[in-house]
Amino acid sequence: MKLTRTLTAALLSMTMLTGITYAATPAKTLVVADALDDIITLDPGEVGEVGGIMAANQIYQTLIAPDVTDPTKIYGVLAESWTVSEDGKTFTFKMNPAAKFASGNPVTAHDAEYSLRRVVKMASRSAFLLTQLGLSAENVEERIKATDDATLVFEIGEPYAESFVLYALSSHSGGIVDSKLVQENEVDGDMGNAWLKQANSAGSGPFVLTTWTPKQSILLTRNENFWQDTPAMERIFFQHVPESAAQRLLLEKGDIDIANKLGADDHASIAGNAEVKTLDGSSGVIYYFGLNVRNEALSKPDFVKAMKYLVDYEGIEQTIGQGTIKTHQTFVPEGFLGAIDHNPYSLDIEKAKELIASSGVTTPVKLDAVVWNTPPYTDFAQAAQATMAQAGIELNLLVVDGQQWLERYRSADLDVWVGLWGPDYPDPHSNAKAFAVNSEDTPDGSSSLADRFGWDAGDISPRTMAALRENDNDLRRQMYEDIQLEHTDISPFLYMFQEVRRVAIRDNVNNLELGLTLSDDRYWKVTKD
Amino acid sequence: MAATASPHFLRARRLTNALVTTAITLLGLVALTFFIGRVIPIDPVLSIVGEKATQEAYDKVYYALGLDKPVWEQFTSYTFKLLQGDFGTSFTTTRPVLTDLLSFFPATLELATLGLLLGVALGVPAGVASAYWHDKWPDHLIRIIGLIGYSVPIFWLGLVGLYVFYYKLDWVAGPGQIDVFFVGIVKPITNSILIDSLIGGHWDVFWNAFSHIVLPVCLVGYFSMAYLSRMTRSLMLDQLTQEYVLTARLKGANEFEVVVGHALRNAAIPLVTIIALSYGGLLEGSVLIETVFGWPGIGNYIASSLFRGDINAVLGGTFLVGAIFIILNQLSDVLYATLDPRTRELRK
Repeated sequence: MKLTRTLTAALLSMTMLTGITYAATPAKTLVVADALDDIITLDPGEVGEVGGIMAANQIYQTLIAPDVTDPTKIYGVLAESWTVSEDGKTFTFKMNPAAKFASGNPVTAHDAEYSLRRVVKMASRSAFLLTQLGLSAENVEERIKATDDATLVFEIGEPYAESFVLYALSSHSGGIVDSKLVQENEVDGDMGNAWLKQANSAGSGPFVLTTWTPKQSILLTRNENFWQDTPAMERIFFQHVPESAAQRLLLEKGDIDIANKLGADDHASIAGNAEVKTLDGSSGVIYYFGLNVRNEALSKPDFVKAMKYLVDYEGIEQTIGQGTIKTHQTFVPEGFLGAIDHNPYSLDIEKAKELIASSGVTTPVKLDAVVWNTPPYTDFAQAAQATMAQAGIELNLLVVDGQQWLERYRSADLDVWVGLWGPDYPDPHSNAKAFAVNSEDTPDGSSSLADRFGWDAGDISPRTMAALRENDNDLRRQMYEDIQLEHTDISPFLYMFQEVRRVAIRDNVNNLELGLTLSDDRYWKVTKD
Repeated sequence: MAATASPHFLRARRLTNALVTTAITLLGLVALTFFIGRVIPIDPVLSIVGEKATQEAYDKVYYALGLDKPVWEQFTSYTFKLLQGDFGTSFTTTRPVLTDLLSFFPATLELATLGLLLGVALGVPAGVASAYWHDKWPDHLIRIIGLIGYSVPIFWLGLVGLYVFYYKLDWVAGPGQIDVFFVGIVKPITNSILIDSLIGGHWDVFWNAFSHIVLPVCLVGYFSMAYLSRMTRSLMLDQLTQEYVLTARLKGANEFEVVVGHALRNAAIPLVTIIALSYGGLLEGSVLIETVFGWPGIGNYIASSLFRGDINAVLGGTFLVGAIFIILNQLSDVLYATLDPRTRELRK
């Protein structure tokens, strides 16, 4: 009896705990579950991780931005209008006089000048987005100039497609900071980096940074000085929940509003729950196998082609992907200018065997494949291992941590790399530069994926750069289409899938606009019922 | 000479010995971790700048981290700073490592302490009962419960626990330390939400945090209970077959007196070390529990820093864990003396 009474009391006291938890998130707070432990900075001049860019995009605004419903349309944000000189090398932006920072300071061309010069001078990891336009620490004072408070003149080294330049400026490193505030907080010539990195923000966007607790959470609060439509949400709380199953339970329970990192399994299991819904967006992420042509077998074009017939694209898409990927065998992601629906390869063991025979390579062939130790990479690799074995290609999977995975591919110390590529801005060049251009053709001489895998792209490389310089959109589109048909056929890149970005949200969350890349979601439009 | 030395002198010498051993152990630990950190195939620069950065950006970070200097020079400069109490800065959190440790460790301390208390409260009596009813049904039952706790993966138990007690029954709060409603209310003093909310008199926050910690504590408690009950059982079995137990029974002592007063008293001496080391193990943090419950503890801090080559953070974390083990070891030595009259005599 005594035991029963004790047990009942214990159970009762447990259920009493329920009284102090809430069934829903606060009405004016948007709670987002994500993996945040990789973020190392929120300074727009150097931010790089997906979660970091996502937060920074709510705080900082760019001169212009692409329309998510139609990426070919670009609209002015901090710039009211812009003109391009006839030679295509000088962009003149007229600033929006209504724009002001959270501090109350007006946003002027001098702020834009300071911010863009800052990215180049800091030589941070994001600087490539601007240096690829021919800017360098030496010429940036000449080429980026505010002629008065309202006018910013931006010059590039050689003429590129106008849309490409604008997209590059619309990327996260084009975020404009409040130069007065940042300069006040400069220490030892760091251009305010230490101040902006972790604890402060100086933007004109809909939210300001309140607290970032590394590896735990980010709290953004509404910018009460916001110069455009006031966001409905007063706070955005990004919570670090690394485990997909835990995110799912929190979402179904109503303790979070948005689950950004649900795995395919968890998406499948919430499908029957009427209290949550799923939004599909584009991420532009391409999954591929990079084949190192320095390996003797992989230097034979027919052998490489045979490997493209040795992946069960359809099977992987259905069983592993479950709606989170779709077969995509070209380098320009769907939704971008120049994207084509061209998937010539499917699993065909016999054809692959013929190609291997004609390549002169004798099987069995053993290839070292470096795989990141996380799904979906491990799943893709295992599936390909099974099908390739049927034609005598033995994939030796080296499953490693993410950092080693990057390092192995940078040092080209592998035969096969199971990789991904995510564009930084919605222009085809963000991918074309990586897959189809060799370093000698780029203005900043940086090496590309093609270089890393030892591939000489031949005339594809200068043709891709020519497409970048083409200002006629129809012609440019045609050029990318032609390049891709050839590239998919002869390159050592075995394209498999494009990611379908899938975000699960509570059914009372409305007007969430997913961005064009995977870190460009617009939370300021969100309302809750 | 030694025979005529004063007790004060002996005590001082013992203390000096202990301090020197501790210092050498910690230095060895730092050196080992440092050199392991330098040979693991993780490039910290790459983990900062990412794959798309230019060579210029890469070089800038490479020099900023001081990686161009010889390893021995990096090590001496690190050790020199460490002696001044400077653990350096973590590049993954951008904060001084000491600030990080003070922020992440309390979450682990809360979880480990409550978990261990629960584990001891359940595990020791269970082990005693198991030994007392050796090979009878209570023994089998306790051993089965222990075996499950010991062999089922803790992350799986965590997820099942969340599904049942949080999602289905609604008895406890979900992953995380606190509900979003209460974020930012409590002023951080010790960085332990439970303690800080009590100090500030925020009872609602306290109960919410408590409701969040219940489930992970139960799991950690279950895990240590499983371990401690097995260890207690085997120690008690040893003791219960000793002749002094038979003597005590022949003298007419009651069973409780025999088991708890005599046998457990003797088993307690090695048990203290086991409990202390198991507390040390819990204070290292559990990466799996912390991941499942989104718990901001030291385990994930060290692990995620390691995977990015954030060597300052790893060294700081390892140093802390090492120091904890040494302190716990010393404490259990002191407890030995209290529990075992022979050790007391020897020390004298």
